[in-house]
Amino acid sequence: MLIAVTAALAAADMTPGTPWRHLYLVPVVFAGLRFGVAGGVVAALGAVLAFGPFVLREIEGHGPTRAAAEGIVTLAVLTIAGAAVGSLAARARRQRERYDALRAVQRALADPATLELTATRLASIVKQRLRAEAAGLVLENGRVVAGADHVHPRSPAAYVMAHREPMFVTDAGAGPRARRAVVVPLTSMDETVGVLAVERAGDFSREERDALAGFGAAMGLALDNARLAARQRRFAEELELKVSQATARLAEMDRLKSDFVALASHELRTPLTALQGFSELLATRPFAPAEVRRLAEIMRGEIERLGRIVSDFLDLARLERGLALSIRRAVLDPAPVIAAAVELFRRTRTSHRVELHVDGALPHVDADADALDRVLKNLIGNALKYSPPGSCIRVRARAADGVVTVDVEDEGPGIPPEERALIFEPYYRTRGTAALGPGTGLGLSVVKSLVEAHGGTVHAEAGSTTGTRMTVMLPALP
Amino acid sequence: MYAITDPWIPPRRSLLAGMPLPLLVVLGLLTATAGALAAAELLPLTPARAVGAGAAQGALLATAVTWTQSRPRSRTAPAMAAAVVFVGAVGATLPAFAAIAYLVAPVWLWTQRCKLPGLGLTRPPIGMCVAGAALGTLLGAHLLLTASLTLGYGVRVATPAHLVSWLAYDAGANVLTTEAFFRGALFDRAQRRWPFAMASTLVTVVCLARYLVDPLLPHSLEVMAGAVFYLTLLSVANCWMYWRSGSIVPGVVAGVAFFICYRLLYVLS
Repeated sequence: MLIAVTAALAAADMTPGTPWRHLYLVPVVFAGLRFGVAGGVVAALGAVLAFGPFVLREIEGHGPTRAAAEGIVTLAVLTIAGAAVGSLAARARRQRERYDALRAVQRALADPATLELTATRLASIVKQRLRAEAAGLVLENGRVVAGADHVHPRSPAAYVMAHREPMFVTDAGAGPRARRAVVVPLTSMDETVGVLAVERAGDFSREERDALAGFGAAMGLALDNARLAARQRRFAEELELKVSQATARLAEMDRLKSDFVALASHELRTPLTALQGFSELLATRPFAPAEVRRLAEIMRGEIERLGRIVSDFLDLARLERGLALSIRRAVLDPAPVIAAAVELFRRTRTSHRVELHVDGALPHVDADADALDRVLKNLIGNALKYSPPGSCIRVRARAADGVVTVDVEDEGPGIPPEERALIFEPYYRTRGTAALGPGTGLGLSVVKSLVEAHGGTVHAEAGSTTGTRMTVMLPALP
Repeated sequence: MYAITDPWIPPRRSLLAGMPLPLLVVLGLLTATAGALAAAELLPLTPARAVGAGAAQGALLATAVTWTQSRPRSRTAPAMAAAVVFVGAVGATLPAFAAIAYLVAPVWLWTQRCKLPGLGLTRPPIGMCVAGAALGTLLGAHLLLTASLTLGYGVRVATPAHLVSWLAYDAGANVLTTEAFFRGALFDRAQRRWPFAMASTLVTVVCLARYLVDPLLPHSLEVMAGAVFYLTLLSVANCWMYWRSGSIVPGVVAGVAFFICYRLLYVLS
C-alpha cells in the first residue's frame, strides 16, 4: 500500500501538502495494530522513506514553504503514529497477557501442593508469561526455591527482603546487552514472606513492573496460605503421632495394671501364706525356744515385706491422685542414715557382700530421714535381689559441687540401655527381672518420687564392670 | 541469577564520568593550532583539515576506549587510540592509496578487543550483519534516488582507488569512531540507565550534532535536512541493532554501506 500511495502521489506530481498524504496513515496504523511497536515503527519508517523525497524536493525547489512544513509535520505524525499505535496495541496485548498470567497464577494456587512446589510453579509461570530469561523466588528465611542456590547478603533480593519495597535494576550484570531486573516483595497481611526476582535483556515497562508488584501481593498471599497449610498438615501429623503414642501408652499402662493386679495378689499372698503357716505351726506344735525365735524372725521379715508393699501402694495411690508424698524435711547428716541402711543389709543378707565407701565428710542435706532410708533400702534391696549370691554390692557416697551423690552398684545382669529410663515408671519391670525375683514394679517409681520431692535426681547407668549403677543426687546445704 | 546471587552495585555517578580530559585538551589544542596555522596560510588547508578530523575522531575513539577498557586500566591505551586514528588521518593526505593508513585503527582495535570488553567488539549474529548491510544499502539507495531525482545531485561511478579510500576512511575512521563512541560507549552507558527509547533519542541527538557541526558537511538547507533525516534513521537503527546484539559491527556495516552510497553523489554544476 505504501508503494501504491507513493506511486500515485508521484504520478500526480503532488506537493507534500496534498490531503492524499494522509493515506500513509492507513498502512502505518494497520501495522501498528497488527504487529505492535516493531510493526508500527517499521511501517512508519517505510512511509517516511517513501514520503520524505516529496518534502526534500519541495525544500530544495521552493525553500521552507507551507507545503514543506506540512510535509515535515506529516513525517513527524507518521513516525509518532506508528510508534504510538504500536505501543498502545502492545500495551493492550500485554494487559491481556497479564490477566492471563494472573489467571494462571490463581490456577496454580488452587492446586493443593507443598510450599516449595507452589513457589516453583509460580516462578515458572511468571518467567513464561512475562517472557523473562530468569525468575527466582526467595522465601523469608533466606531459602531459595527457584532461580539460584544461595542469596548474596548485598543482592537486590536481600535488599528488597529487608526494606519491603520493589527494586528496579536497570543494569543487571556486565554482559554486552543491558539486562533489567525487577525484584518485588511477596507480601501477606503487611508481612514479607519472600521476594520474586525477574530478569531479562530488554526493557521492563512501568506497567509490567506494576503488574509484577501486583503478582507479588497475590503470590505472597498464596505462599502464606501454602505455608499455613503445610504448618497445619505438620501439626495434624504431630497430633496424630502424639495421640497414637498416648493410646499405645494407655494400652501399655492398662496391660501393666492388669499384670500388677495379678502380681500384687501374688506378692501379698506369699507373705500372708508364710505368716499363716508359721502361726499355725506355733499354735499347734511345741518348739524349742531357739526354734520359736527363728520362726518369729521369719514372720517378722514377712511382716516387714507386707508393710513395704502396703507403703508402696499408698504412695502410688497418692502420686496417681496428684498429691505430694508426705515427707518431713529437716537438716540432716546423710552419712549415719547411709551407714545404718548398709549395716542392716550386711547383717541380714549374708549371701552377698555389701561395701560402703564414703569419700570425705558429707555435707548436711534438707531431707526426711525416713524417706532417705526408704530410698536407700529400696535401691540396696533391689541390688541384692537381682545380683547372684556371693557378688558384691558397693555403696559409695561423696559430695561435689553442692550435691551429695550416692551410688549403689551391683554385679547383676544389668539393665538394657533402652529400658533404663522406663524402670522408674510405675508397674514397669524389665524383661529379664521377672524370673529373678518377686516385685511389684513400684519401688523405683516411689524412689524417684521421693528423690524429686527433695529436689534431687535419680538415674540408672551401666556399672563399671557388669551390673547396674543407680545414682541418687541430692542438693547439699551450704 | 544476578538479582539473587550478585551484590548490587549502584550506577556510576554521571553518564559522562571518566572522560580522558587531558588527552581531549591536547587534541583540541592540536586542532586549534592546525586551524590557526591554516588561517595564517602557514599550513595548507588539506593537512590542516586532516589534523582536525584526525583529532576529533581520535577524541571519540580515545573516550570510547577509556570508558570501556577492563581493569586494570591502561593509561596509554586512550592515547594510542587517538594516535592510530590521527596517523590514519594524516596518512590520508599522502597519495591516494595512503588512505589505507586509516586501517591502522581497526587493526589496533582488533588486537585490543580482549582489553575492551565493553566496546561491543563481540562477534554478532550473521543475521544482524546482514540486516545492517541491508539497512545501510536501503538508506543509501534511497538517498541516491532522492538526491538524484529531486535535489539536483548526480551519481558518479566510483573508481577502485576512490572506493578503496572511501572504504578505508569510513571503516577505519568516520564510521568506526562514530559507532565506537556513540553506540559502544555512550549508548551502552545510557541503555544501562534508561529505557531504549530515551537512550537512543539522547544518543541520536548527540550523534546528529556531531555530524551537523562537522565543517566538511556542506551547510546548505537541503543537505542539512537530508543529513538530519538519514542520520536520524541510521542512528536509531544502529542503536536498535546494538541493543539487540551487543555489538557495534552491524552498525559499522550499516554506516559504511550508507556512506559509500553517500560519497557517490556529486553536485551537478
